[in-house]
Amino acid sequence: MKTKLYGLMALMIVATMILAACTPKPTAQPTAVPTEAKTEAPVVTEAPTEAPTEAPVADEWANVDPTGQKIVFWHQHTKAREAALLEIIDEFNKTNEYGIEVTAEFQGSYSDIFNKMLPILNTPDVPDLVVAYQNQAATYQLADALVDMNSMVNSPKWGLTAEEQADFFPGFFAQDVFPNFGNARLGFPPNRSMEVLYYNLDWMKELGFENPPATPEEFKAIACAASQTPFSKATAEGSHGYELSIDTSRLASWTFAFGGDIYDYENGVFTLNSQAAIDSMTFLQGLFQEGCAKLVTEDYGDQTDFGNGTLMFAVGSSSGLPYYQSAAESGANHAWGVAAIPHTSADPVMNVYGASVSMPKTTPERELAAWLFLKYYTGTEAQAKWAIASQYFPVRASVAEGLTDYFASQPAYKTAFDMLKYGHFEPPVPGYDFVREEVNLALAAIADGADVKTTLDALNATANDILAEQMAQIKK
Amino acid sequence: MNTQDQSPGKPRRSLISQWNHLKEQLTAYLFLLPSILIIGIFGLFPIGYAIYMSLFNWRVTKGGFLGFDNYDKIVGDWGGLLLFLLGVALLVAAYWLWTSAFRSSSRGVVVAKVIAAILLVAVGFLLAGGWGRLMAGGDKKFWTSMMITLFYAIGTVPTQIILAMVLAYLLFQNIRGKDVFRMIYFLPYITPVVSTAVVFRSIFSPRETALANTVLSWFGAGPLKWLFEPRPFSQILFGWNIEGFWAGPSLALVTIILFGVWTFVGYNTVIFLAGLGSISKEIYEAAEIDGANAWGVFRNVTVPLLSPVTFYLFLVSFIGTFKAFNHIFVMEVPSAQGTVATASVEIFSIFYRANNYGYAAAQAIVLFLVILGLTFAQNKLLGKKVFYG
Repeated sequence: MKTKLYGLMALMIVATMILAACTPKPTAQPTAVPTEAKTEAPVVTEAPTEAPTEAPVADEWANVDPTGQKIVFWHQHTKAREAALLEIIDEFNKTNEYGIEVTAEFQGSYSDIFNKMLPILNTPDVPDLVVAYQNQAATYQLADALVDMNSMVNSPKWGLTAEEQADFFPGFFAQDVFPNFGNARLGFPPNRSMEVLYYNLDWMKELGFENPPATPEEFKAIACAASQTPFSKATAEGSHGYELSIDTSRLASWTFAFGGDIYDYENGVFTLNSQAAIDSMTFLQGLFQEGCAKLVTEDYGDQTDFGNGTLMFAVGSSSGLPYYQSAAESGANHAWGVAAIPHTSADPVMNVYGASVSMPKTTPERELAAWLFLKYYTGTEAQAKWAIASQYFPVRASVAEGLTDYFASQPAYKTAFDMLKYGHFEPPVPGYDFVREEVNLALAAIADGADVKTTLDALNATANDILAEQMAQIKK
Repeated sequence: MNTQDQSPGKPRRSLISQWNHLKEQLTAYLFLLPSILIIGIFGLFPIGYAIYMSLFNWRVTKGGFLGFDNYDKIVGDWGGLLLFLLGVALLVAAYWLWTSAFRSSSRGVVVAKVIAAILLVAVGFLLAGGWGRLMAGGDKKFWTSMMITLFYAIGTVPTQIILAMVLAYLLFQNIRGKDVFRMIYFLPYITPVVSTAVVFRSIFSPRETALANTVLSWFGAGPLKWLFEPRPFSQILFGWNIEGFWAGPSLALVTIILFGVWTFVGYNTVIFLAGLGSISKEIYEAAEIDGANAWGVFRNVTVPLLSPVTFYLFLVSFIGTFKAFNHIFVMEVPSAQGTVATASVEIFSIFYRANNYGYAAAQAIVLFLVILGLTFAQNKLLGKKVFYG
């Protein structure tokens, strides 16, 4: 009886394997890759110079009809940003002449969206548009799951004119073009933000410092002074110079500020153990060891402490400006500002990032309809609304020009915006999410006192192993 | 007289009887069909599919056939695995010899068996050195995660079962408000685990003002980093500087173990209460008449008669701890430096962060085999000790 039972179980397992083997193959093959794929870190400049892409010979979208398509857009925005996005979508739904109807669906954080997307790539369950960081888009494209938007952007009938393309900040516009995937455009930027240094101006003055720190030495002096002398207006107990949140972007920002990079774009390898990375992490570790810095222990704990006047410095995204403002207003109500990350280089180097909107493959009609919404969303009118409501940076120069009043009312936003010209990006490579997990562990270990060079050497080896594994999936 | 019935009606009756029997069988299978289909589609098919995936270089899309390469990457050193399994087998044999030795009546046999058992235990430990080879040659992160899982299981299961048994025994007495207590103890189990895990994160934050640290300060102790502490608990508590397996779990993992115990102790208590309800009152009365005190009754009546329930809870809890994910995922912070990453968390990371589905599937199958093996061993070792009345 037992033998029969085992036989039956074995038979069922074999049957399931045969059934599984019969599942359909992905419909499309990944795009070819140029043999000498070289990525240049896009430089963000204030004024665009020329249209970065060339118009194609034929318009493959000319005869596609987007009329009546229903489009689903997966995003991560909440509260005021979600409301603004819904308003833009509502306006588009009412005014577009093709009867296209866009539905926005909140799908959790960036990571949640990424995790939801992976199992459904190349299936009918994908949304028409999805928010994605460049490295996430690169991962999706390993399955050839995204539309290369170059032909849409350059379509004479549906695309952007040369002038319109030139209106985008070149660094932002080029950031979604992937040399590893044959220069395919795998995303389109609706906004960007930047890592900035938040400082408590009133407390700094109390300690005898007039200006925010420009160099690591100045930063250390103020942070250490603050950790010993509490702020007079603080609404909670404690006195801390700097709180480090364990996040790869912090390591990248500090490395950039120390004149280095975490990725070698020429050779396509991580350089997480570069001298600049070692120096910056040694600097941070020193702050911890001297009691001038501590770790962020709760989600957004640095914002809370900053608002309460118990934290002098925090480094975070400029998209957090409204939250810092609100924390300060409801806390110690102190004057505060943003500045460049203290740097050893002559000019600051700022970590600019931001998720773009990618387009999973569906049908030509839906893809075109999705593009028309994206074109609207990144148009001057919608961008102006979006920039003010979200406090993200607009991606078009003409929109920035129209924000004069807003700049005047939001000096911190203006300060950050003016630093865009010093922008630098984190690498848009597949598998970067996994690398970030490893970087976070290394950063935590360094903060805990681990040997910086040994830790970063091991981290770099692991990161390059992960990268090599990921790149091996791109079919030649 | 011919005992065989030669009447012409008999074969026909036999045929009818066979047909009726077949009909009965078919009816039974028909009733079973829905559950077979459900178990097949939602239970066996995913397992089969995971096995299938594990044989491929399955990243974001299905790649080439790898055979057992993914398993080879996990194990690395098959000799090490063999040594380890042999060590475990010898430990089991040693346990069996040890218990047999104490049951034997002959003094010579007893001594021989005891010596043999001690030797076997030593050999078992030596062979378990195969573990070192697995760590060196195989996927160190995966095997470390298995070790962390084992710590989590050992820390959680016995504690919650003992606590639950004691609580159930107390709540079974005629005390005022016992229904309220039952509800209170059961609440953590029915509260969404993600939300309670977030609350625990706040309670066990390294801030000096966090609740756990405030309580410590009442006793004059300094603040601890709790979930942010990667150092072993043994080092923090006793100052021991031991490394590797024998150092034990990190303080971060111990904090998560506390959460696990807090969550499941109420559920176990309710199951024990049901078990207590099924014990005949006459047995207790007989024990009282025989002069047994409360402890004697608990030890010699309650505990043995609850052993089927204890065994069930032990089995289910052990499997549960090996599959535990949600609260660990929520409570894990980078500062713990991977010391709370149990096997499920590691598999999730390989699946979603590294996008290596094939390898994650292979890891899941290895975890499945480990759970299967442990369940089998528990069944064999502990099943015999269960007293069914």
